[in-house]
Amino acid sequence: MSAELFFVQLVNGIQYGLLLFLIASGLTLIFGVMGILNLAHGSMYMVGAYLVWYFAAVTGSFTAAAALSAVIALGLGILIERLLIQRLYNRNHLDQVLLTIGMIFVFNALQSILWGNDPHGVSVPDALSGSIPFTDNSSYPIYRIFAALVCIGIAAALYFVVSKTRLGMLIRAGESNREMVEALGVNIKNLYTIVFAIGVMLAAISGIIAAPIRSIVPGMGESVLITCFVVVVIGGMGSIKGAFVGALLVGVISTFAAVLIPSMSNMIIYIFMILVLLVKPQGLFSK
Amino acid sequence: MIFEKRTERIFLATFFIIALCIPLFLESNSFFVGKATTILILAIFVMSLDFLVGRVGLVTLGHALFYGLGGYLFVILTPEYEAVNFWIYAIYVMCVSAFVALVVGVVVLRTSGIYFIMITLAISQMVYYFFFDSLHFGGGDGLFIFIKPDTSIFGLSFLNLDNPTHFYYLALLGVLITLLTIKIVLRSRFGRIVEASRLNPARTEALGYNIFSFKLISYVIGSTLAAYAGLLFALQYGYVNPQFMTWEMSGTALVMSILGGMGTIYGAILGTITYEGLQYFFEHMSKDWMLFMGGSIILMVLLLRKGLAGYLEKLLEK
Amino acid sequence: MANKIILETESLSKHWGGIKALDDISLQFHDKQLHGVVGPNGAGKSTLLNMLCGALKPSSGCIFHNGEQIEGMKPWNFVRRGIGRSFQKTNIYADITCLENCAVAAQRRFTGSFNLFASRHSNKMVTEAAEKALYQVGLGNRISSIAAEISYGEQRQLELAMVLATDPCILLLDEPMAGMGHEESLRIIELLNELKKSYSIVLVEHDMDAIFELSDQLTVLDNGTHLITGTVDEVRNEPRVKEAYLGKEEEEETA
Repeated sequence: MSAELFFVQLVNGIQYGLLLFLIASGLTLIFGVMGILNLAHGSMYMVGAYLVWYFAAVTGSFTAAAALSAVIALGLGILIERLLIQRLYNRNHLDQVLLTIGMIFVFNALQSILWGNDPHGVSVPDALSGSIPFTDNSSYPIYRIFAALVCIGIAAALYFVVSKTRLGMLIRAGESNREMVEALGVNIKNLYTIVFAIGVMLAAISGIIAAPIRSIVPGMGESVLITCFVVVVIGGMGSIKGAFVGALLVGVISTFAAVLIPSMSNMIIYIFMILVLLVKPQGLFSK
Repeated sequence: MIFEKRTERIFLATFFIIALCIPLFLESNSFFVGKATTILILAIFVMSLDFLVGRVGLVTLGHALFYGLGGYLFVILTPEYEAVNFWIYAIYVMCVSAFVALVVGVVVLRTSGIYFIMITLAISQMVYYFFFDSLHFGGGDGLFIFIKPDTSIFGLSFLNLDNPTHFYYLALLGVLITLLTIKIVLRSRFGRIVEASRLNPARTEALGYNIFSFKLISYVIGSTLAAYAGLLFALQYGYVNPQFMTWEMSGTALVMSILGGMGTIYGAILGTITYEGLQYFFEHMSKDWMLFMGGSIILMVLLLRKGLAGYLEKLLEK
Repeated sequence: MANKIILETESLSKHWGGIKALDDISLQFHDKQLHGVVGPNGAGKSTLLNMLCGALKPSSGCIFHNGEQIEGMKPWNFVRRGIGRSFQKTNIYADITCLENCAVAAQRRFTGSFNLFASRHSNKMVTEAAEKALYQVGLGNRISSIAAEISYGEQRQLELAMVLATDPCILLLDEPMAGMGHEESLRIIELLNELKKSYSIVLVEHDMDAIFELSDQLTVLDNGTHLITGTVDEVRNEPRVKEAYLGKEEEEETA
């Protein structure tokens, strides 16, 4: 592999990893704070991608479509939490698995009813459509770099919120001690609603950003969901830092595997995960 | 008495009487006999999962791995274009599956709780992609069974697997054997410790039991039964492909078992029939059947906390 | 002290990070005696019991059972050697009958826990051993009651019956009288007086009257260290004990 190809693949891997982080951070946040295992999390990624495709076609502006989609996703998150998830806090993981599998069915059906089953694509916004040349005969698309930067920005914002704000303090406290948060006089119901809605929005934003790079097809949610499980398990369930490291590892490893050992590329992240769990059964950054 | 609850006895008696008679009514309609056969095979798979999740306490999201493995192993082990003996090869397949389950079990049982769910999922995905990407095992198209095995015992032949009705009874026999196996194991001295380990693992260890070995043996039993179901399914349709071992397959079986009433074993049969019935009904009602299916699942989680078996027991006990 | 030493610790220590939960404890437990262990909260009593039963691995030091070094063994091997342990927080199988609770405990002594086919009720010896343990603690009338449905005091008795059903030679009892009423406590004291004739007992207990009445040997722990071991009278007359232990008790009461 030439140094040039290596570099391109590395950047691709990091960029894919960052995208994974956005989805996985929501998953791990919801699990860490609320103890809910949301199998329908991948569907939120799908919803984000479909929404931005739809609104981009209607409004003609990617930016407007992206903003609109993110806000709708946030509202959807609040709605789902209030209508369904809230009833499950005292139930076991099995009931959560069952309910969220039901939600996957519903979202897949809605997608098929509202937008059909044909693959769709969103064109890259004009301002970001070029490429940056970095050697004589290769270049890198600006949008992918932009996407990576947006992800880094969101990751930094998330880090800031969790470590520096009052909301973040409650999130960290909620992870370790539910009663304590309630003793502080905080309405835990509202905290949960906010956390769930933010988690949903993060997944949707990831779908929005990915829309111009990846094709928008039915079932896109499920495949990304499983990858994100691998990410959070490697990182340690409930740890945002772990999700970040896990996402980059999975992104880079799977990108290189696709080039170097294509016949095993799909298996490699699972093998990696099993190896991690054999050494650290609770993930890399377990509490 | 292996079947302790009244509801259990009533349901199973009703089920087996109706199931024995079904081909008599549907003889002319091989499509429905085939459909019923599929439901019975799935019931075997779901019972084996119900045993692991509800009675051993191992919440696996990778059970379909063994379902697919049963099918694949049968095709791989049998010589092509030759009618082999069904019983002998079924035993081969189950022995190899048991060995695989032993190896997988040693790895996955190192983890617990949510990590157990995840690692079982990951291993089944890994094997799924192994078959999906392999040229040797037919990739995404899978492998085909060209000649149905013969089922004679000591030269006496009762069943012809090309006949849908005969195959149906073979599947029904499978349901009975699986049910009895699980019930006998649960009632046994081994089952007593398995039950204790689920109810209070720390105490069971403090009483001098190495609960790992009890879980491992249970895992092997559950997985081997699942492989038998997969073998039957592959034989019924004449092929096996990676779709047998998707995580959706594991997830659906979990839904069926929770729907029926987790850990009740007979509820798994009830859950499988109900789920398949609903799906068939919705599929014919609307092309957007998934909407109704998903909606029904959500409603049932919210309303039926102990599954259909729990509801039945409320009606029939005392 | 004519009785032989059955269980012995040598410089036993447990550290959690920098915190010493238990430091350099060397004790000898004699056969057919009741050895009381007392000390203020956080003195390391439960930590000691947890190490003696194998649930916790010591950071350093050794445990000898009948002269054989055992601290590196798996927890279940401790039970198999006859070291039984009850829990401070009731730790039973709530959903099954009292008889089944004890049957789980008793079954290990008889072969066949890996028998997949024979009915669990087919071995009369297991059932008899379980019943015997229940009668021993006075739960003969609760044999087929569901464990969750009997009273708290009875659950404490069941806890004890489960240990007895494992047929131990050493009983490690962690506050068997915790949360019990006066009359129930008296019944347990009577029972322990009976049991110490045939078992070696290590008793951790907060009830001072009980422990003074029962103990042949008494060890006082304070803040993870070994203060004194002796007869009840020796311990009572030791000034350091009054200072460290009873002094604190008074403080707690006034606080």
